[in-house]
Amino acid sequence: MRQPSLVSRRVAAAAVSVVLASGAVACGPEDAGAKGGASGKADGAPQKGGTLTVLNSEAQSDFDPARLYTSGGGNVPSLVFRTLTTRNREAGAAGTQVVPDLATDTGRPNKDATEWTYTLKEGLKFEDGTPITSADVKYGIERSFAAELSGGAPYLRDWLIGGDTYQGPYKDPKGLASIVTPDARTIVFKLKKAEGEFPFVATQTQFAPVPKAKDTGAKYEEHPVSSGPYKVVENKNDGERLVLERNEHWDPKTDEERKAYPDRVDVRSGLDEAVINQRLATSSGADSAAVTTDTNLGPAELAQIGSDKALAARVGTGHFGFTNYLAFNPKVKPFDNPKVRQAISYAVNRTSVVNAAGGSALAEPATTFLPEQKAFGFTPYDHFPAGKTGDPAKAKELLKEAGYPNGLTVTLLHSTAQNRATSPEIATAVQEALGKAGITVKLDGQEPNSFNEKRWSVKDAPGFFLSRWGADWPAGGPFLAPIFDGRQIVTDGSNYNHAQLNDPSVNKEIDEINKLTDLKAAAARWGALDSRIGEQALDVPLFHPVYKRLVGKDIKNVVISDWTGVLDISQVAVK
Amino acid sequence: MTTLTDTPAPVAGTPATGPARQAWRRLRTRPAALASAAVLLLLVALALAAPLLAALAGQDPNTYHDDLVDSARGGVPYGAFGGASTDHWLGVEPGTGRDLFVRLLYGARISLLVAVGATVVQVLLGLLVGLAAGLGNRWIDATLGRITDVFLALPFLVLAIALTAVVPRDFPRPLLLILVIGLLGWAGTSRIVRAQTLTLKGLDFVAASRLAGSGRWRTARRELLPSLAAPVITYAAILVPTNIVVEASLSFLGVGVTPPTPSWGQMLSTAQTWFRADPAYVLLPAGLLFTTVLAFTVLGDAVRTALDPREAGRLGVGTRKETSR
Repeated sequence: MRQPSLVSRRVAAAAVSVVLASGAVACGPEDAGAKGGASGKADGAPQKGGTLTVLNSEAQSDFDPARLYTSGGGNVPSLVFRTLTTRNREAGAAGTQVVPDLATDTGRPNKDATEWTYTLKEGLKFEDGTPITSADVKYGIERSFAAELSGGAPYLRDWLIGGDTYQGPYKDPKGLASIVTPDARTIVFKLKKAEGEFPFVATQTQFAPVPKAKDTGAKYEEHPVSSGPYKVVENKNDGERLVLERNEHWDPKTDEERKAYPDRVDVRSGLDEAVINQRLATSSGADSAAVTTDTNLGPAELAQIGSDKALAARVGTGHFGFTNYLAFNPKVKPFDNPKVRQAISYAVNRTSVVNAAGGSALAEPATTFLPEQKAFGFTPYDHFPAGKTGDPAKAKELLKEAGYPNGLTVTLLHSTAQNRATSPEIATAVQEALGKAGITVKLDGQEPNSFNEKRWSVKDAPGFFLSRWGADWPAGGPFLAPIFDGRQIVTDGSNYNHAQLNDPSVNKEIDEINKLTDLKAAAARWGALDSRIGEQALDVPLFHPVYKRLVGKDIKNVVISDWTGVLDISQVAVK
Repeated sequence: MTTLTDTPAPVAGTPATGPARQAWRRLRTRPAALASAAVLLLLVALALAAPLLAALAGQDPNTYHDDLVDSARGGVPYGAFGGASTDHWLGVEPGTGRDLFVRLLYGARISLLVAVGATVVQVLLGLLVGLAAGLGNRWIDATLGRITDVFLALPFLVLAIALTAVVPRDFPRPLLLILVIGLLGWAGTSRIVRAQTLTLKGLDFVAASRLAGSGRWRTARRELLPSLAAPVITYAAILVPTNIVVEASLSFLGVGVTPPTPSWGQMLSTAQTWFRADPAYVLLPAGLLFTTVLAFTVLGDAVRTALDPREAGRLGVGTRKETSR
């Protein structure tokens, strides 16, 4: 839940799109259940040793815990930075849970969830052997408020008392009064209002300890002090090449989550996506012990792998909480008419849309706004059943009732990016299906920046456009609140509440659920809320993407959680 | 073609009729040129008849066939050769199942229309500016010369992308492409026309016309234009294939025609990742583009040779086998 502060929204917008577009900076896939199942030739138990190569397209830039925007602590970052809590490193749905990392538990809330207390484990050390204290965690968080270390998620700024005005420890060395460290192992956070999902936020790298004495400000990213199983030995061209080696002071007894099998991790980036997939498929030399943390397989590559069993066995499949949808802006005619919105909901052909998104292996049809995972509170509903291929007859009927017996013409805004999400292929599939129901769709394709500017603007947003949303952690809150909370309509920044819904009863329910610290109970209420909002046809959910990624032939122990949908690099072994 | 009188009739046994006729005689003895012309005529005919042929095939360029693609395998068409069948003669597009034969035909319409249209704009503008520069006083020549330099130096693709991006979406895209490519690409023609005009200006027949009292523009129209025909036609024949490729590039970059309208460039753009999984999808538009560009280039070259009497004389076209080229 982000508060409508201009700066945080802008940052969030940029960061979310980066994080999500690249398929989450975090971890690893596997079909629910079988741990280590996706690696084909991996026989026997995983062994320590060897070098793991990571082939990426995007550089691991700004490698400073204050500046990273991660989900669950990130993938490569989580090898170096330990946080108060972290994501459970297990496959499938179990991987959506928050578990303790530096702390002994996931946090102890006060009665109304406005105060969260953590106790650090014993025996925690930095890479230089000095003990990690609660003051280091506090300092790490305070650094993320400094303007020169921007990039992180906006939650801390929005939630902590005084967070909106604090300038960071360089300008304000007194620190943030709402983070209290009564002793070297205890840390307390005081929040403006109830936040039952605080343990999820404590997984982000801003919660990694930073020793004040070693802080070099903006240069810290060149060699951040490790609290995790690996330390940085080389960082070239702002993370284009990142070499990690074992941190001897990391004690596996204090860390149940990271397996840290390889001795060395070599991250090489700036590669073309097709080249990455080709190299992983060929798996010659060092590439046989390689993975990627940012490159998915595309439809053509899947078609090619299709019949090759050995290769298919090396493909990991994962689900990240993400929804692609058709957004309406009911402030624009004719979308103010619910019947028109319903007609479009009925007319959509999800089979062609899924095919345009890369086929059933890369996308699953969606009728709910929430992703199909329990952690988000998924409650199945299909208020306007379009079947597999759309119901143009029903759509025509509704159009007639709406006063358009001869059909109507609308314009659909989409981007020209080749991302199979907001791209021309998806827009054309929608256009074709709506055409059968008598709705002529004109396409307005804009290059990605102006596309985003338009859809995130309250003033200029068109009535009908492609959009998508992914959550920063697997729960209903970060999925529904930014999209449907009326107080999060941002008039002078990036607005994600496309429908500009401001329904007091919805707002109140969001506040009520945020007070719950029982995440299961909260999930059920998020699901019910999603179904209730869905009745208004404020959007047409189209599909949830599925991630398919190749690993090199010597890779063992591939674990893919539903939190990140991609392989968890901390679990991978090369021997 | 007054310049022709400077040289003796080159081909033995051929009565010296009109220059166009002579050129045609030379041209038709070159099999490569004839084949190219035939290919181009066929393409134009196919493009013009696209709606007819689509009706004959019982297909539509924009209709999806979800049942013809294997959704579980990235949307690759079922069957061999990109899903070719009696219904879909050249197969279907991966992911959508749209008929490739019909899309290629409709794509040819856009590609040829835009390329030829843009060439016409380029040639007309080039002639106008080139003649004005060649015939005008020093001041006009210098100004137009600098403007031409600027247009030659412009980063063409970048500007074209910017221009196509700012124009409202309602503006007809093919016309927009014609104008953008045409207005940005006339400088080459203008240079050639100016140089040729300067040469011709000093020749006797032009001077005679001026002395006889003809005005500047009358001279340009009556004496210069016919003599400029050869180089301009030749250059235009080279411009057309270039423009086809430019249209393809713009569509490839997503600023060409609006979907779902097919064009060869747009098809190549979506096909690029499929070259291993579904080669037919890439080879068809690529092959057509290649054939068209090659045909235009060969024809353009032949026209140049045919219109150039000295070249024709040297090669002895029509009497001996061609030796160079």
